[in-house]
Amino acid sequence: MHFYLPIAEVSVNALLLVVLGGLVGFISGMFGIGGGFLMTPVLVFMGIPPVVAVASEANHVAASSVSSVIAYSKKRSVDFRMGGVLACGGAIGSFIGVEVFRWLRLIGQADFAVSLSYLLFLGVIGGLMLTESVGTILRRRSGQPPKPRRDRRPALLYALPFKVRFPRSRLYISVIPPVLLGVFVGVLSAVMGVGGGFILVPAMIYLLRMPAPVVIGTSLFQIVITTSLTSVLQAGRNQTVDIVLATLLLIGGVIGAQLGARASGRFRAEELRALLALLVLVVGLRMGADLFIRPEEAFVLMTGASR
Amino acid sequence: MIPLVAAPPAPAVSAALTDTEIRVSSGFRGARIVLYGAVFDPTDRPSDIVVIVRGPDQPLRIARKTQVAGLWLNSRPVVFRGAPGFYRVASTRKLQDIAGFAPLRHLGAGLEHLAIAAPLEQRVETTYGVRDVVVSRLGADYLDWRRAVLRLKEKAGLYAADPQGVRFVDKGLFRAELDLPAEAPIGRYTARIVLFQDGKPVSIRDRALVVEKAGAERALYVFAKDRPWTYGLVSVIVALGAGWAASVAFRRS
Repeated sequence: MHFYLPIAEVSVNALLLVVLGGLVGFISGMFGIGGGFLMTPVLVFMGIPPVVAVASEANHVAASSVSSVIAYSKKRSVDFRMGGVLACGGAIGSFIGVEVFRWLRLIGQADFAVSLSYLLFLGVIGGLMLTESVGTILRRRSGQPPKPRRDRRPALLYALPFKVRFPRSRLYISVIPPVLLGVFVGVLSAVMGVGGGFILVPAMIYLLRMPAPVVIGTSLFQIVITTSLTSVLQAGRNQTVDIVLATLLLIGGVIGAQLGARASGRFRAEELRALLALLVLVVGLRMGADLFIRPEEAFVLMTGASR
Repeated sequence: MIPLVAAPPAPAVSAALTDTEIRVSSGFRGARIVLYGAVFDPTDRPSDIVVIVRGPDQPLRIARKTQVAGLWLNSRPVVFRGAPGFYRVASTRKLQDIAGFAPLRHLGAGLEHLAIAAPLEQRVETTYGVRDVVVSRLGADYLDWRRAVLRLKEKAGLYAADPQGVRFVDKGLFRAELDLPAEAPIGRYTARIVLFQDGKPVSIRDRALVVEKAGAERALYVFAKDRPWTYGLVSVIVALGAGWAASVAFRRS
């Protein structure tokens, strides 16, 4: 069944989009990430203009994240206070990101910025996570005791002013690091069309030293707020949100997210993390490869010329 | 005395489109434009028909990939103004067999004769609030850029030439079929039908065609353009509502 998208102005297979949305939603619910980093490249590959893909994807990520954040909050594994602080930073970041993206589009470097950020962030994070989780799995297989977790938190978290108590995360730290983290993720979410979960999750574990059970739910909660704001800003400022595209994706997405959140309990955490790391790494390298391979076609038409 | 011989009536062409309005709704997957026409010529000289369909003008930006420090980056985009968003030329045979360079160039018939306005002089202006946008700094490699525009548009299915696109179905009666892909831009199109005899255009007819969004597609498009902030809010509410609805549905099941 084909559908003509009013903003993207292309005709797409609706069923395919629903199924894709569902698959990405499943991954999203399972790993506590938005899944935008998978979906945006797929949409671009299907011929949807990148600017529309990035903006509409933010909407889809918001939907599937709401669906799974509700599932997680029932398990009491969402730190709403920490999520709120991150989201404040995220809001500032979204504003900056949408303007940055607008400017990048006008000077014709949006493609480059997107490829580079995928390569850089996904490549580095995927690589680090993969090494870490494979190491853990190998140690367990060989019967060694798991590496003791260093409980010493970075001193910076405590030295900075504006300390706040986060009871559910059992933390008493300065709000400055989480706010900055939020800003950073907000900018990325606008430029890359992602929720930023793949950065938030490791950052919350390794930088903020939050206890693992609350990390995924909290990350999703902040993603909901940031991506909602991003999609309003993208629609208002750039008029690039395709509501039909977003709706098709989120029909599958919200259902997939529920199934994913349920399935996540059945796997070992390290194996799940290794799998996610591999996925992140592959997508990052694939997107970044375009920067190094001599293009077959030396010229590119830019979208959004008429505005 | 000049002999009073009535000059034979000038040959003329007449044509009509079977549809003058293409409505783009959710099921739109492209359309086929069918054009019928007739040649009125008492002398029976060999006639050729060329049909040129142009979509609304769409300024376009094109960048060239250049290698900088091992990375392939886009150059600054160059703006071409006046390029049609859609272009089809159909003819009874190859254009170069029908007429010479000058008449084809004058009519803009054929991809190589399509006028794409890129100012040849270097001009830097402030566009969309961004300073120093190079409108055109194309000197020697102007043709490279022009060819690239045509190539990319052809690849996207938006520009094409079909030397067998017009067929005479009966004496003096011809028919042309032009395919409009789903990606074709929205707006006013013109179909120019030209009758060629002895390599010269002897009669020209213009027909108009409108491609417009219809139904829900149009409503959403207008909504997104006219009230972008409300549109954004609505799309977020839809998203959040759907997420919430799914979690409620799953709790019950």
